[in-house]
Amino acid sequence: MPARLNPAASQRYYFYLLAPAVILLALISLYPFFWLIYMSLHQVSLSPNQPDVWIGLENYMKLFGDKRFLAGWRRLAIYSASCMTLQLGLGLLLALVLNNSRYEKPLVTVFLMPMMMAPVIAGLVWFYLYNGTFGWYNWALQSLGILSGKSILGSADTAMIGIVVVDTWQWTPLITLIVLAGLKRVPQDQIEAHMVDGAGSIRNFFSIVLPNLYPFLLIAVLLRFMDNFRFIDAILRLTGGGPADATKVLPVYLFEVSFTNFNLGYGAAIAFTLLVVTILIGLVLVRAFTQPSLRQKD
Amino acid sequence: MASKDIVTYRTPASVLAAVASVVFVVVFLLWTVLPLFIMFVSSIKDLLEAFKLPAVGDWSGIGVFFDFTPTFKHYVDLFQDEKFGTYFFNSVVSALGSAAISVVLGSMAAYALSRAEFRGKKDLFFWVISTRMAPVVAVMVPLFAIFRYAGLVGTLPGLVIAYTTFNLPFAIWILKGFFDNVPYEIEEAAMVDGSTRFQAFKGIIPLVSPGIGAFLVLCVLFAWNDFLFASIIGSGGAKTLPVATSGLVQPQNIQWGKIMAAGVVTTMPMMLLGLVIRRYLVTGLTMGAVRG
Repeated sequence: MPARLNPAASQRYYFYLLAPAVILLALISLYPFFWLIYMSLHQVSLSPNQPDVWIGLENYMKLFGDKRFLAGWRRLAIYSASCMTLQLGLGLLLALVLNNSRYEKPLVTVFLMPMMMAPVIAGLVWFYLYNGTFGWYNWALQSLGILSGKSILGSADTAMIGIVVVDTWQWTPLITLIVLAGLKRVPQDQIEAHMVDGAGSIRNFFSIVLPNLYPFLLIAVLLRFMDNFRFIDAILRLTGGGPADATKVLPVYLFEVSFTNFNLGYGAAIAFTLLVVTILIGLVLVRAFTQPSLRQKD
Repeated sequence: MASKDIVTYRTPASVLAAVASVVFVVVFLLWTVLPLFIMFVSSIKDLLEAFKLPAVGDWSGIGVFFDFTPTFKHYVDLFQDEKFGTYFFNSVVSALGSAAISVVLGSMAAYALSRAEFRGKKDLFFWVISTRMAPVVAVMVPLFAIFRYAGLVGTLPGLVIAYTTFNLPFAIWILKGFFDNVPYEIEEAAMVDGSTRFQAFKGIIPLVSPGIGAFLVLCVLFAWNDFLFASIIGSGGAKTLPVATSGLVQPQNIQWGKIMAAGVVTTMPMMLLGLVIRRYLVTGLTMGAVRG
């Protein structure tokens, strides 16, 4: 019997298809989430013989007085915003230059290579390039007179720049890729009509190309923001948060509290704030995803 | 293309713009490739050769970089002394395992989500994707506790399940888009002809299989490149390539040749896979928001 004629059976069938994935996801994401909330409300004991002590919101109250927590958020904001600005600018420029060029395909293929690399390996390679005694990039920076004495990661003033550069090296091509996909959907007839009216290419860019690219740029920004919150592999490898906490963005601080100091209850409270902010960004992202303008191809 | 019909005039400004864009692309190309190139060359240098640098400001001494006799001993060392064969195997098994589970369970769930109408579907869908967006550090502690309780820490099945936490939501999210593009009429026709629902579902799998294949590869890529899960859940018995490579860095006596060789071993397979699924990369890396 066609499925539509028997809706009840159909629903059950879909339920069976959906169940395994939902159950597995619940086990590995919902369950840890509630456990996280439980931990954040307790003083978590490390030995199995001692019970956890209920302390209510004490861990959360502590957050407000924790300078390193607040500094972690501030650094995460600075780090994400710098990465974003640099990558968006460079990625957009690169896409505009590459679009419809004869070498677009082979060049984009080359530009993709850093993205295929594990971030921790990228961190290792750049750690080597930046090294104060035998790193080639450090040598070049010193020879150009940009750096003197300390290496870029060795000084609290420049370490943040160092990690931003690595992230930019690895992920700018993603922006380029997204913008290129967007450029292919800019309606050519609008540009032509505009040019017939006497507009130059710069005016064309601002009045037609950029508005059409807007949803793509939004996706790019949100995706990169979220990844900067999610991935600290390269930072852990490059600086581990140092020197003098200069690169201790919030997730790195969280890593230290939970896995170096084993202060699990407090770590859970920090983690909770990070989760809430990420999920809020995620909500905006999902809404941006569902914009129909992203899918249309003329 | 019609836009070519419009006559453009060469002006000094347009020539300047053309030159500037070529320079920009060349500089960007160098900037992208140089770290990879240095990684590769350093991996075939002997220990002391890797440390050679010209004096500060001595640009003519840059040729020192190429002043070495190529050796593959670091690669041999990795597989003979450092058990990189085992780590490679661990990486392959955990990445493939989680990719396979994610794609199988994911396509079932994605199909159901694409076809069924029920209350709360949007919420369920958002919950699915939000699990993918959660920062790993944030959920690691409770996850570790659960894995320890289940005896999964330091085992390959443990890693497979850990990677499934991010690959399964990804697969559901992406594959739903694929099934949305397959008209329901195809299954309906099959069912009218007497197939069961499950046969009808199997019948449309070939229509989406190129996409499924590409996303299987992407799941492998995400899992392969993971570091945090592997270093904490996999610690002990299930070391993967990124963790092993990172572990080669010791406070004293850093063996850069070996480390760079390990970097090449870890990176090369993924670059090749990336080439194979090049067409699907934009879609995959933007979680399906942008079609290439």
